[in-house]
Amino acid sequence: MHNRIFGIETEYGLLIKADQPDVSPSWVARRIIEHLFGQKKHGVIDWHYRGHDEPPGNGGFLLNAGRMYVDMGHLEYASPECHSLWDLVAVDRAGDWLLQDCLDELGLSELVSIIKNNIDHETDATFGCHENYLVTRDFPFTYQGLGLLMPFLVTRQVFTGAGRIGMARSVDGWISLDDIEGRGGDRSRGSAEEGVLYQISQRPDYIVNDFFEWVQHNRAIVNTRDEPLADPERFRRLHLLMGDSNMAEEATLLKMGTTGLVLQLIEEGHAPQGLDFDDPVQTLRAISHDSQQKWMVTLSTGQHLSALDIQEQFWEAADKHYAGQDEETDWVLAHWESVVKDLRQGYQAVVGRVDWASKLSLLETFREAEKLEWDDPWLKSLDLEYHNVDPQAGLYHGMAEEGDAPRFTTNDLVELAKGQPPRNTRAFGRSEIIRHIVKEGWADFIEKAIGHHDPRRPPYVINWSVLQLQGSPAFVMADPFRSYVQESRDYCDEWSSRPSMESLPNKPDI
Amino acid sequence: MKNKYAYIQTGGGLERKEQPIDPLSKPSGPGDQESGPKRPETDSPSRDNLMKRMRKVDPKQAEKYRQRTGE
Repeated sequence: MHNRIFGIETEYGLLIKADQPDVSPSWVARRIIEHLFGQKKHGVIDWHYRGHDEPPGNGGFLLNAGRMYVDMGHLEYASPECHSLWDLVAVDRAGDWLLQDCLDELGLSELVSIIKNNIDHETDATFGCHENYLVTRDFPFTYQGLGLLMPFLVTRQVFTGAGRIGMARSVDGWISLDDIEGRGGDRSRGSAEEGVLYQISQRPDYIVNDFFEWVQHNRAIVNTRDEPLADPERFRRLHLLMGDSNMAEEATLLKMGTTGLVLQLIEEGHAPQGLDFDDPVQTLRAISHDSQQKWMVTLSTGQHLSALDIQEQFWEAADKHYAGQDEETDWVLAHWESVVKDLRQGYQAVVGRVDWASKLSLLETFREAEKLEWDDPWLKSLDLEYHNVDPQAGLYHGMAEEGDAPRFTTNDLVELAKGQPPRNTRAFGRSEIIRHIVKEGWADFIEKAIGHHDPRRPPYVINWSVLQLQGSPAFVMADPFRSYVQESRDYCDEWSSRPSMESLPNKPDI
Repeated sequence: MKNKYAYIQTGGGLERKEQPIDPLSKPSGPGDQESGPKRPETDSPSRDNLMKRMRKVDPKQAEKYRQRTGE
């Protein structure tokens, strides 16, 4: 898509289905990481400390140039950089498949399910699906500039939300005495017993700020940290953590594509004005909780509009300025218009395309067939099962298999994206070097070196914008739009022509 | 929708190759199309298969799903 690089980071949940105290989600996560990098050699494990919370062996970069690792107890997959939305939807699904493959090969799929969602109903834990958009350094990273993004982000959940049963009881960091003493406390802002039986998005209950730079406790609608992972003089990276993990491919494409276009509207001074909310956080939550799906909001001006009206204004601006820009832009514009118009007819018109609508349809059907009340625990279990990444079991995958959820990639392309990077971003150069490390046997070498290796002198360091192999200078990829195809191959050739591994000073005695 | 990329067999194995092929077709408006999948009829074969999947789900599995808070 024009002038944009996209990426998605997904934190997965792990459901241990049997009552086995010795099998915990963190144990399963470790087994998967060891299998993926140690046995399958599907990338190279990091052999250095990455910050204070990632010790050597915690994860690594994959052959497709994405990264798989354990973060705060969750398996997390960071996609490679994508210039194309079609690449993005393929590499996003490829992360699911890589993990499910590991589970199957480890013989754990009867015991464990990988759940691509953002909440658990029991403890009110939340975990994220983070979106990354590369913007120019000139992007107005000010309250005024980012404020133009706010009404779009608050209302886009009508087609990006993944839906959930109920609501979170209390946000992180706020446990009232009433909660502790069982008097309900914070429940006054809405609860199952007060009518929030089902809401359209999973993350709003956990978003407590409009702008903030950190990613846990005090999560914000717009994360403002300045970490471009590219040339800081040319680029910024907008990092959003308020969205849900999507199963529907159309929802993934629309979430990333429409947000990319709105960023372009802001960059080029065409964004709609005057759509501010006095309290964006409360508005975000109120839209998600609205069981009538009217999604009416009040602007700071006092004007009453629906979330769909606001989306329509953004669509009109984008269509006016960017229609015909490129194929992907035209696709996004057409589907954005279509989904907003169809939502005016009711949620059933977007089943298969919008996750919350698909899930609600399934739950309603099942509830009627089994004569269940909304608070029946079976419905929460089905809510989770919608997000099971196993194509043989997951409810989203069941809909797709029956043709009830349109596909925008193919199984062959997803299979390919498990091991191949996008070819028109720097992911390609990173993948070339990762392949070279694997081909040269360094992955085997590292495996044998466990317990012997000095993490202060790793044989390689791989990062998003710079790599270095021991004995060679750093290889910098500051421009995510370049593939670095020739430079990366030259770098590998030069490395191979250096003295053999046996003569390197860090060779362990094994 | 036609995909923009195709995969090809090369000396180095399967590779993805950008194809200057069929432009993406715009969906028509909701008034002149079936406007996406509708909620299937309860007695349709596809809904039967989905109901089978749903009935296989352990009604108590949500109680076993206890995660750490992440980011």
